[in-house]
Amino acid sequence: MTAVQETTLVTDPPAEALEPELPQRDGAAVAAARAMIVFENVHKVYKPNVIALEGASFVIEKGEFVFLVGPSGSGKSTMVRLLLKELEPTSGTIVVGGRDLGRLRRSKVPQLRRNIGCVFQDFKLLPGRSTAENVAYALKVQGEGRNAIRRKVPEVLNMVGLAHKANSFPDELSGGEQQRVSIARAFVNHPPLLVCDEPTGNLDPDTSVGIMQLLYRINRSGTTVVMATHDREMVDKMRRRVIALEDGRIARDERRGGYTSE
Amino acid sequence: MLGEAVRSIGANVSTTVAATMTVLIGMFLLGLFIAFATYAHSWSDHVKDELVVKVFFDRETLPRNVEAVRVKLESDSRVKRIEFVSADKALEIMRQTRPDLFDTELPYNPLGPAYTVIPNRAEDTEGIAASLKPRPSGVHNVTYGEEKAKRILKVANVINSIFLLAGLILLVASTILIANTIRLSIFSRRREIEVMKLVGATNWFVRGPFMLEGLLCGLVGSVLAVILLFLSKEVALPSIIPRLDSGPGVQAIAFWANALILLGIGLLLGAAGSGLTLRRFLRV
Repeated sequence: MTAVQETTLVTDPPAEALEPELPQRDGAAVAAARAMIVFENVHKVYKPNVIALEGASFVIEKGEFVFLVGPSGSGKSTMVRLLLKELEPTSGTIVVGGRDLGRLRRSKVPQLRRNIGCVFQDFKLLPGRSTAENVAYALKVQGEGRNAIRRKVPEVLNMVGLAHKANSFPDELSGGEQQRVSIARAFVNHPPLLVCDEPTGNLDPDTSVGIMQLLYRINRSGTTVVMATHDREMVDKMRRRVIALEDGRIARDERRGGYTSE
Repeated sequence: MLGEAVRSIGANVSTTVAATMTVLIGMFLLGLFIAFATYAHSWSDHVKDELVVKVFFDRETLPRNVEAVRVKLESDSRVKRIEFVSADKALEIMRQTRPDLFDTELPYNPLGPAYTVIPNRAEDTEGIAASLKPRPSGVHNVTYGEEKAKRILKVANVINSIFLLAGLILLVASTILIANTIRLSIFSRRREIEVMKLVGATNWFVRGPFMLEGLLCGLVGSVLAVILLFLSKEVALPSIIPRLDSGPGVQAIAFWANALILLGIGLLLGAAGSGLTLRRFLRV
């Protein structure tokens, strides 16, 4: 890991698009304004009566690297989907980069998502599009010009080490390579926040290490990284902040934790 | 956006072809139908045009009486036009239509002058005739084809309503068929749409290429239908036309107008169909 830590990432500074716009009312608001993610007593109940999250509260500061751990069904994926406003909480408040998601209008959701890079276990690449086109799609979506696309795509593909596969299609890539493409797509905008839902879940341990190194580098460039994972070994090795979920409740929140409490 | 649409057509050839074929079939049937329906409508109009009220005057009637009837008819809003048929003209017409009656030369003209009253609507002939009851002085007789008129009107109305109903059914059926094919094609790509939304695409950014694709399918399908219709018109009509005893002035809608209608409906169905079907899948 040390080798990775010494690598410096040559990228633009993270976009400031998620800068808070909260009024400076009191200390709590100021603290919230400095935070990247605020969960306040968030409940999520799926119909009929399946409780996914129960009173989750935590604050994630800008620039943090946070693992969300817990067994299947403990609410990790629900949390990720709540962050993307793919789901609405049953009650409670979620603030991402100063935006109260409960008050965010539907029409503003694309704006929110452009500022959150997301990486999934199943990669979610667009089939029938090459590596470069998949990455470019995230730029096209926000109306980036052809020149910007031509400049930024090779740059980010270089960063994930896939410059030579720019014209390959997803079904011609290995799992690890596909995940790199998906990370490149998530990061090409330099979003202030990167959310990963089990990014190494489908990958073998060696490949996973490569993916983790990549995420670590992205975090070092100033991007907040939130990663839901099952990967015990990785969490124990990284020694980062761990938020552990059990049956929808936050069981543990440690600055430099392991996968299980010691 | 055009590039996106072309790409997606290329990547989904089979569903695109299926959608285009449904548009083609639907528009071909609709085109045939429009041609026949407008022909039938034109025929029934033609038949209705022959329904008129005839006012026959006495042979020795005074011009004053004729004038009085004219004034009365012209003040009737149901009357479109009045044609005066002089006694000589009436004899001339009769000589042509019933030559058997003229075996021997007539010593004098037995007919009086007459009015042919053309109504705005064929259905009004009976009412106009009734307004001349009791007969004004100098009027010998008023006829409007009585039984024949009623039968013609009935047949024309039945034909019109059958075609209207069939047209409605055809339109609904082809709309459902096309919508279904489009739904199928979109359903097979719903994961792709989900990914687009998660990456931050707005609804219109996702919808645009799909609608354009629908538009292209609609365009190609209806153009093919128009070509097919044109070919069948060229091949089939010459052998059918002589058998139709329709009379002058009866004709179907002009081919170019029919083609334009089909193109319009095809485009609309393609674009609106995919745009509306997408709505369900955009809720990510």
